[in-house]
Amino acid sequence: MTPTVLVVGESSGGRLAGASLEAAGTARRLAAGDGEVVGFLAGAGTGAAAAEFARYGVGRVRVVDDARFDAAPAAATAHAAAAAADAVGAKWVVLAGTTFGRDLLGRLATRWNAAAASGVTEVAGDAEGLTVRRPVFGGRATETRRLVGDRAAVALRPHAFPSPAEVPVALAIEAVGAPDIPAALFGPKRTAVETAGAGSGPGLADAAIVVSGGRGLRAPENFRLIDELAASLGAAVGASRAVTDAGWRPASLQVGQTGRAVSPQLYIAVGISGAIQHLVGMVSSRVIVAINSDASAPIFKVADYGIAGDLFEIVPALTAEVRRVRGI
Amino acid sequence: MEIVVCVKPVPESETRLRVSADGTSLDPEAVKFVLAGYDESAVEQALLLKESLPGSKVHAVSFGPAPRTEEVLRAAIALGCDQATWVEAPPGPAPDPVATGRALARPIFAMPHDLVLCGKQAGDDEAGLVAAVLGELLGVPDVGFVVDLRFDVPSGRLRFRRATEGGLELWEAPTPCVIGLQQAWNDPRTAKLPAILKSRRVAIAKVPYAPEDSSAPRSVAEKFELPPPRTGAAMIEYKTPAEAAAKLVRVLREEAKVFP
Ligand SMILES: Cc1cc2nc3c(=O)[nH]c(=O)nc-3n(C[C@H](O)[C@H](O)[C@H](O)COP(=O)(O)OP(=O)(O)OC[C@H]3O[C@@H](n4cnc5c(N)ncnc54)[C@H](O)[C@@H]3O)c2cc1C
Repeated sequence: MTPTVLVVGESSGGRLAGASLEAAGTARRLAAGDGEVVGFLAGAGTGAAAAEFARYGVGRVRVVDDARFDAAPAAATAHAAAAAADAVGAKWVVLAGTTFGRDLLGRLATRWNAAAASGVTEVAGDAEGLTVRRPVFGGRATETRRLVGDRAAVALRPHAFPSPAEVPVALAIEAVGAPDIPAALFGPKRTAVETAGAGSGPGLADAAIVVSGGRGLRAPENFRLIDELAASLGAAVGASRAVTDAGWRPASLQVGQTGRAVSPQLYIAVGISGAIQHLVGMVSSRVIVAINSDASAPIFKVADYGIAGDLFEIVPALTAEVRRVRGI
Repeated sequence: MEIVVCVKPVPESETRLRVSADGTSLDPEAVKFVLAGYDESAVEQALLLKESLPGSKVHAVSFGPAPRTEEVLRAAIALGCDQATWVEAPPGPAPDPVATGRALARPIFAMPHDLVLCGKQAGDDEAGLVAAVLGELLGVPDVGFVVDLRFDVPSGRLRFRRATEGGLELWEAPTPCVIGLQQAWNDPRTAKLPAILKSRRVAIAKVPYAPEDSSAPRSVAEKFELPPPRTGAAMIEYKTPAEAAAKLVRVLREEAKVFP
């Protein structure tokens, strides 16, 4: 018998995060056969996100309509999700391994005394439990782990799983009140959101394509070459630490050991040498392209495709070619 | 402020990884262990807060096997932590995050803890779950992916930013609180030689491991694999920048199938 799977959704402004859709698709695969997938959402005005769950085949959605969750840490949602999982008899919980999902997962595992795995890139289920594969050591190794016991929870690495196709089903919302959650968990409060500063593009960790620039750009005003290439591709902009330390771009765009780890479908490194501290933040990207004037730069060792050349010539040509091919 | 900082020994980032004989884990033979990168930032942040808030203390806590765990605690002392507590892990497979959190929570529960700092994740298993596990066990809130952590004395609240997919969020939180730290105000300091020498003589409190904290039935490592060595980039040959661009777009589209 395939168990019931709960998929915890993350929404903002009524939209379900792309990574939550990937989680919904994976939950449906794990429940294939006689299992059931139940969606879960907590916060104010989750109706539109619930409808989106139904568009992707998850019709039964348990909702805690409570504005307190919107500015509270994931810890509070974890309590509500654990209660929902208990109520619907879920054995497995699947969620997006975003910063929110990761904060949520540890709580859930502790409340459940269950196995949990984050950063998962492959998952399969059988009668004994879930088996996951996940990159470790900054993508330099992969571990396969069996999550045994009655219940298990996994956070999926964004972009590691396909975006599901639309399979609309009827929406059946089960609105429930928040369970008894310790008041302390609502103590921390998000008071504001500063955007990444790079304008309207996708968020760095959520983007399918990331274009990063390094010291090879020489001056802050030249970084617009990166912005333009990224815009032509619909990509997010990243940077090496040389760039963020120099203040050319905000620290929130830094990729690497002391910045952010990304794993997009395509990572384009421009004028970045490929120091190990940068590599650990991007080496698990699916396809890596490097553009660097130094043919012996270490970045070419981890890249799939390389162009040895002057970025000031190559990047504008590439932007023009992308615009031409995409008809923009 | 009474600050607890959790630290973990991990292989140095340049270490050549090898697979153990049974194929399920890293072979620890000949691996040099150091304080995990984000834990280094957590220690730095703890010390910066201590320096800015007179009367504060920093207590380093670690769970892990001998001798590397004791060594990273001495490294934390050499950097300026006041005290250290070690929960010695039993031999056997590495514990899962819930087991680690339980082992750490026991001594932390018994010590004053206004703020518990962890690195947001360790560079070996990259689970990044211990801060949340600790929060649940200690009965206090936790927030991860934190940068720019300050303590606002007049309000008695922590103020910080959280680095998320959508950008930076501004947060405030009461104490006690567990924080998973992404970045301290400064790059981590390095210890000075006299402090390193002195740290060798400092007594480290040892707390027995409670077998009921084990992860035994929850999670089993089955395989540890190294990727086939990267063969290096396929270099695009070209005469003009336009040709390089056209060729790259073509391979991204037709071969790699990643072109939007
Ligand atoms: C504790 C610690 C943590 C760190 N964390 C991070 C981190 O999170 N992220 C990070 O990125 N770094 C990090 N670093 C820094 C890292 O070691 C490197 O210094 C940094 O990544 C270098 O950035 P870069 O590649 O842009 O610059 P450089 O190493 O200076 O490389 C510039 C590159 O541009 C190329 N170039 C120059 N001109 C051109 C041109 N006209 N056309 C094409 N190419 C050109 C050069 O050949 C060179 O390869 C960390 C370091 C430490 C010690």
